[in-house]
Amino acid sequence: MQFRYVFSELRSGLRRNLSMHIAVVLTLFVSMTLLGLGVLMKQQSDIATRFLGDQLQVTVYLCRDGDTNPACAARATDEQKQRVVEAMEGNPEVASYTFESQEEAFEKVKELYGADQFDGDNPALTAADMPESYWITLKDPKEFQGIESEVQGLDGVSQIRDVHETLKPIYEWLDALKYGSWGIAVFLLVAALLLVANTIRLAAFARRKEIAIMRLVGASTLYIALPFLMEAVVTAVIGVALAGGTLGAFMWFGVHERIADSVKFMPWIGAQEYTTALVVIAILGPALTLLPTLLLTRKYLKV
Amino acid sequence: MSTHVIRFEKVSKAYPGTAKPALDQVSIDIEKGEFVFLVGQSGSGKSTALRLVLRETRSTGGRVHVAGKDLNRLAGWKVPRLRRQIGTVFQDFRLLPNKTVSENVAFALQVIGKSRAEIKKVVPQTLELVGLDGKGERMPHELSGGEQQRVAIARAFVNRPMILIADEPTGNLDPTTSAGIMKLLDRINRTGTTVLMATHDVHVVDQLRKRVIELDHGRVVRDDAQGAYGAAG
Ligand SMILES: Nc1ncnc2c1ncn2[C@@H]1O[C@H](COP(=O)(O)OP(=O)(O)OP(=O)(O)O)[C@@H](O)[C@H]1O
Ligand SMILES: [Mg+2]
Repeated sequence: MQFRYVFSELRSGLRRNLSMHIAVVLTLFVSMTLLGLGVLMKQQSDIATRFLGDQLQVTVYLCRDGDTNPACAARATDEQKQRVVEAMEGNPEVASYTFESQEEAFEKVKELYGADQFDGDNPALTAADMPESYWITLKDPKEFQGIESEVQGLDGVSQIRDVHETLKPIYEWLDALKYGSWGIAVFLLVAALLLVANTIRLAAFARRKEIAIMRLVGASTLYIALPFLMEAVVTAVIGVALAGGTLGAFMWFGVHERIADSVKFMPWIGAQEYTTALVVIAILGPALTLLPTLLLTRKYLKV
Repeated sequence: MSTHVIRFEKVSKAYPGTAKPALDQVSIDIEKGEFVFLVGQSGSGKSTALRLVLRETRSTGGRVHVAGKDLNRLAGWKVPRLRRQIGTVFQDFRLLPNKTVSENVAFALQVIGKSRAEIKKVVPQTLELVGLDGKGERMPHELSGGEQQRVAIARAFVNRPMILIADEPTGNLDPTTSAGIMKLLDRINRTGTTVLMATHDVHVVDQLRKRVIELDHGRVVRDDAQGAYGAAG
């Protein structure tokens, strides 16, 4: 009986304010899509940082057994490593550094190409084939020559990779996409909030006689507010579903079918990251319509 | 206190931004089953007193007890439960124009979650009680003013409230029609419902000879057990 009332009110409420609800759904749809896109980009740049180091980073690869670099006689010894550490500690350009073992390097490769490639008795690559390395974070990305030249000549150092020139455009793109989509999303979310607020005001006005009588005869506040809350949830669910679908299409056609197969130097966002983005918008979307509804119904439907 | 359905203890009400209080130290006891007229010139505070009983507004001084509850201490979420024990009727009927007579009455039960079976049983009974049997399918605009007020009374009474509050229920009606409405309120009062009615209507008050409380500038100036509209000569 209660449900019947709520659903009939919901239906007539949605129909009465159809154009407003469509406006809410559309703004939510676009803002949630952008928000989700930002979440995806954020995760992609996290992946990039993990694999390639961030923009402030210089990687010092140490010699390994069978190194192709003729300067490497054999695998870097502890003593040689100690020299590198001393150089890094003594250099003012270095903010911090971490050591990456052969196993850790191998784990990354497995993640990139799939662990199953390296199963079996005679795998193409083992941890022993990976170089050890130091990942140096610079204080200032422009100040790298000192440490590079200092480490370059040390024994046991095979190669120095200074990725910040190569990576700069990638990071710039990811950052631009991330902050761009979040920035636009914020504007649209403000628009969505205002639309929700207006929709409720109109609906409360249209139903003011009913509401006055409901209050008078002792209908509970929740009962009075329920149709409004349901309307908010329904529009949010539709908006989020559309955004989720669009993000899914982007993941499939944009990332999975295009980039992921051709650009292989780092892993690309996949199902797991998509799920994270979905969770974020599935929580934020309804929250953003429900919160103003709760606040405004308290105001308009004050018992 | 148990027999007092409504009890005002030195109740004052000052609306924000007004210099003079609408009610000033008003003390009233109304017992279960009483019929009480609240009279006084316009602006004397009658509607304010009724609004306090409904907890539409809160007193700024003193205590209001209704149905054993101190309304100033009553939590907001308990107010609906209080109002289910009070039926309310206004001068302007306040019917929903797009619902039939039956639907208007049923609405009051629906929104407090009564079962369909009960609604189906009680609504026709109540319409019969107020003299509207056979008119359940009419729309409000197809009824006379007196009939519309009967619908409003049916809606107020359909949940068998302990208290019936009426704010100038005959204010829009001619004397004959008013007499009919008063008869109905009297009948409802005889079922044990306490009736508190604010009115300007000399005729109505003088005819019924019930308890009369007169307000003047927010103070009780008269409380006669079987009074007339004007002070007894
Ligand atoms: N919401 C309000 N805000 C401010 N002042 C108010 C409000 N409601 C009533 N008043 C004032 O309180 C006083 C009492 O008003 P109230 O409506 O109780 O009088 P009343 O006896 O019902 O008058 P009437 O017979 O005209 O209906 C008046 O001076 C009125 O102006
Ligand atoms: Mg009044």
